[in-house]
Amino acid sequence: MDKQDMNEGQSVFNLSYLKQPKGLWSWLVTLDHKRIALLYLSALIVFFFLGGVFALLMRLELAHVGKQMIDPDTYNILFTLHGVIMIFLFIVPGIPAVLGNFCLPLMLGAKDVAFPRLNLFSYYIYVAGAIMAIIGLSNPADTGWTFYAPYSVRTSTGVIMMTAAAFVLGFSSILTGLNFIVTIHRMRAPGLTWFRLPVFVWGIYATSVIQVLATPVVGMSLVLLIVERMFGLGIFDPKLGGDPVLFQHLFWFYSHPVVYIMVLPAFGIVGEVIPVFSRKPLFGYKMVVFSSVGIAAIGFFVWAHHMFVAGISDPSAKIFSIVTFAVAVPTAIKVFNWVSTMYRGSISLTTPMLYAMAFVFLFLIAGTTGVYLATLAVDVFYHDTYFVVAHFHYTIQGGAVIGLIMGLHYWFPKISGKHYNTIVANIAWALIMIGFNLTFLPQFVLGMEGMPRRYYDYPAEFQNLHTISTVGAFINGVGYMMALINLFVTFVWGKRFAEANPYEAIGLEWRAPSPPPTENFDQQPIVNHGPYDYGRVALH
Amino acid sequence: MFRFLPEQASNHAAKVDWLNNLITDISVACIVAICGAMLYFAFRYRKQGNSDQETPHIEGSNFLEIVWTAFPTLVCVYVAYYGVVYFADMREVPNEELEVMAEGQKWKWDFKYSNGKKTTGELVVPVGKPIKVLMTSTDVLHSFFIPAMRVKADVIPERYTYVYFEPLKTGDYHIFCTEYCGTEHSGMRARLKVVSEAEFNRWLEDDSDLLRLSRLKPADIGAELYVKSGCNACHSLDGSRLVGPSFLKLYNSAREFADGSKIDKADENYIKESVINPNAKVVKGFSPNLMPSFDGQLNADQIGAIIEFIKTLDGSSKAIVSGGTTSSNVDRAKLSPKERGELLYKEKICISCHSLDGSKVIGPSFKGLWERSGKLVGGGSYKADADYIKRSILEPQAEVVEGYPPAMPSYQGQLSDDEIGDIIEFIKSVK
Amino acid sequence: MSSVAQHGTTDFGSMDTAPEHRAPPHVHHMDAVTAYHAAKLGMWLFLATEILLFAVLFTAFAIFKWYYFAEFHAASKELNWKLGMFNTAVLLFSSFTAALAVDAAQHGQNRKVVKNLFISIACGGIFLIVKAIEYGAKYSHGMFIGGEHFHQFSNFLSIYYCLTGLHALHVVIGMIVLFWASTKAMRRMYSPVYYTPVELGALYWHLVDLIWIYLFPLLYLIG
Repeated sequence: MDKQDMNEGQSVFNLSYLKQPKGLWSWLVTLDHKRIALLYLSALIVFFFLGGVFALLMRLELAHVGKQMIDPDTYNILFTLHGVIMIFLFIVPGIPAVLGNFCLPLMLGAKDVAFPRLNLFSYYIYVAGAIMAIIGLSNPADTGWTFYAPYSVRTSTGVIMMTAAAFVLGFSSILTGLNFIVTIHRMRAPGLTWFRLPVFVWGIYATSVIQVLATPVVGMSLVLLIVERMFGLGIFDPKLGGDPVLFQHLFWFYSHPVVYIMVLPAFGIVGEVIPVFSRKPLFGYKMVVFSSVGIAAIGFFVWAHHMFVAGISDPSAKIFSIVTFAVAVPTAIKVFNWVSTMYRGSISLTTPMLYAMAFVFLFLIAGTTGVYLATLAVDVFYHDTYFVVAHFHYTIQGGAVIGLIMGLHYWFPKISGKHYNTIVANIAWALIMIGFNLTFLPQFVLGMEGMPRRYYDYPAEFQNLHTISTVGAFINGVGYMMALINLFVTFVWGKRFAEANPYEAIGLEWRAPSPPPTENFDQQPIVNHGPYDYGRVALH
Repeated sequence: MFRFLPEQASNHAAKVDWLNNLITDISVACIVAICGAMLYFAFRYRKQGNSDQETPHIEGSNFLEIVWTAFPTLVCVYVAYYGVVYFADMREVPNEELEVMAEGQKWKWDFKYSNGKKTTGELVVPVGKPIKVLMTSTDVLHSFFIPAMRVKADVIPERYTYVYFEPLKTGDYHIFCTEYCGTEHSGMRARLKVVSEAEFNRWLEDDSDLLRLSRLKPADIGAELYVKSGCNACHSLDGSRLVGPSFLKLYNSAREFADGSKIDKADENYIKESVINPNAKVVKGFSPNLMPSFDGQLNADQIGAIIEFIKTLDGSSKAIVSGGTTSSNVDRAKLSPKERGELLYKEKICISCHSLDGSKVIGPSFKGLWERSGKLVGGGSYKADADYIKRSILEPQAEVVEGYPPAMPSYQGQLSDDEIGDIIEFIKSVK
Repeated sequence: MSSVAQHGTTDFGSMDTAPEHRAPPHVHHMDAVTAYHAAKLGMWLFLATEILLFAVLFTAFAIFKWYYFAEFHAASKELNWKLGMFNTAVLLFSSFTAALAVDAAQHGQNRKVVKNLFISIACGGIFLIVKAIEYGAKYSHGMFIGGEHFHQFSNFLSIYYCLTGLHALHVVIGMIVLFWASTKAMRRMYSPVYYTPVELGALYWHLVDLIWIYLFPLLYLIG
């Protein structure tokens, strides 16, 4: 990048989206995608904290065999709330609503998303759903986040409020996805062809398609559940002539693809970070793009691998097992390409780069343990054990949450115009890595030994591993607190620097000042090269 | 490396474990290789000083893409194939199988054999024979999981599912419920007892329990249900106050409820309602929402039996309850103290509240109890020596272990000192 | 596509501020042509989500029909196919007038737009009244939820009420959308270069109509 670009920030100093317009009200009714991103972020952090506290309470109860401090019913409520909050309120909106909102128009060279009002409306639908969920806390459900019928039809706890909240949150998700798809189709800068899009944009695109196509299905299923509870219609409860397995089909038709909603954008962030800090083009860019789209497409046809022992027919179990393996291949391709990008690079181990490398390690574990669960005969043993718990925490926490934290660090200079304390950030990274693996590696072993999930108490032979896992969970919690507080403190009190492009990266978002003004660019950017043209080729 | 699966006790285990270990080995090799390469690159090509070294502009390699698409595809096809084939083996039941019916119910497993024999919480099968467990649920979803046999299947109301396995060795194994089913989901465990074929046949034909039941009066059956269904955890027979109202002189007594309403006589209909819908009328001074509904868990005959039993509790004589099998024809003198203790454990239905496998029922498990120490309700601590156990049998309410209800009746006058000694010997043996 | 013209701004959420001088500066983020195509793409995506919403109920219908074939056969005879037929005709006609409204808007004939949209809205109203008559008949036969004969056909009726209830809700929403589109015609806002709201409203209305075209034979005819 030349000097002129770097100085751009200085000239528009007063126009930072953070500073203008002023006042709380201007934030609440803002149509600026960057401000809406920060509105989401502030809400998400609250729920991440809440869901984390519930998780730690659970781990405390499980630290030792027998009752520690809460009774079984409270424990059941805790794991339900942990799941509902972490999934529906934190990680599904997660990367798309925060980093997608912030970066997508910037990376496309656009002034905003296609429908800014709809974007704000999505946020307030999210808030409405969040408020419903908080009201629901007064009579929390104890069904698990999966709401399996007929238990959810019959339990006396507050299922209706929780499912209604999830339904409303789904609408927010649909509208955000719709907005992003239209934005990517219609708002790309001149010269920004489809195969010049950064892989993060591709990740958001694939995610949005899933959001639009899968979310209505779970929404309708939850409505049917509510109707069944309220009016006694026989849809899912066999006592009323309903079919409990149908609920599982409909639920997983959404809830499996939702995993890709969570991790595809995280894949994208890894694809941004590694080339920048290796000064190399992303290895096999097109394969990485195709694998994202492929995962999203195949992801729609694998849902019943959550149901191998749920009473589905043997032939369908076999078919779904085989299709599930088809998802493993594009995921593997991504990993190979990321690592190859580092070959003969000029690698700076910045905090985002450390997170990217951690991501590769954690996601390798997540992916390979997924193979056990896709393998029919082996999954019969692992289904609903701690092995599954550990596996999806490696994908969702090791994938999506680490992805979000990585993205926040990577784009932090753009978001805030400041630079966080690297030493603190790296210590937090180390704590997260140690704590996370200490929490969930023992859970793989527990699962292999046959420990079922959602157990309030367990036979004494599982004791030691549970204790280790609890210790790890607290280290993990401290790590996240440290990372987020570090960013927050810098954001509020840090000294600003106004470099537009601190990493000398190529992406369009780095052409805008840091932080960008309300309409992002002083002049319409024009693109004449690929997204990762690092290396010996000249940039301009 | 990383071999943690439980012992291989069924015909499926070796196959499943082979496949599992194959995946483990490939996975570990891949993770080590890829992360090794990543760390090597990070070190070898690290930025030197403040300025970037020159890097080559490499966009990709078709050859490599083909290699690392083909390699995982081949591995996947191989693993998927064996996964499907071995799964098919698990589902194909040989013709000469022994079929046992299983019924999941919040929160216990009932088993029924072809000759009508029923058990709760214990599945007894012969070694070396194909076993098919045909399952259904009476309420919500459950899932039947025997880790040592590598089998699992969801148990669904109004529908039948099955698992099939062939036990290879005798022994005791865990049975877990692995589909979340409410409060006591983690307590919904059972034992799988694999015994020799001769022993199994002897056990199967032993119908003394059934005969005995058929000769009992309804009130006596009610007395057994009082213990078996766990009523005794909350309702005393001697007028003492536990979690729920005592059964003593309950029948035809006046009741006042939490909402201020009253009835003059607690008649059969009232008792039945309280069993089916416990929260409809909660007696004043007691908490609602504690008692689970027994709707679907007790049939009309059984509820009638309990009502008959409650009717007998008019205070005219001391109630004697017992549950398990009577083994009066055994010559006790020939048994060791430990064996006599085990018989007493069953006869005096310690079994209904104290498990032998470490699972938490109503009282603490006997497993590992001997010389264990811990905290008591209301502060203080205990060490489970002979004195403590004896005190616990004679005055159970005096020292209640933390986390458990004060539910146990006193055995004062029901057990001699010798018998208590036998039970202590038995507890010592349960490690 | 991105010369960022400074006029004719609109977007899916801000069509009520189409005159350029009333638009807040912030929505000056795309030109009019892009805005039109964006809004239309957005609407098609939204219709896709609607179809998937109904797809859940159609799936449930198919499964329960397979489980309880005899019950579904008997229960569908309880429905009045003549009223259903009448409603089908009413909705088809309303779709026709909605299409006329779009055509009128493209020619800037705002009065004609209002007239045609009002006919469509009225048809929606007639549809709902007939539906209410059908529900009333069910109620008087004790076949409404909680009625004495409900349990006889509970599986069919459960899915019947879900499907027709959700569809009726969509008719109501469609009527509101069409009314909102017509208020713009009353303010004479449509012209050959700007007719997005009426086109999107009509698209939505066609979907509502289309879903009924599937519902009618499934529920009333093929039994």
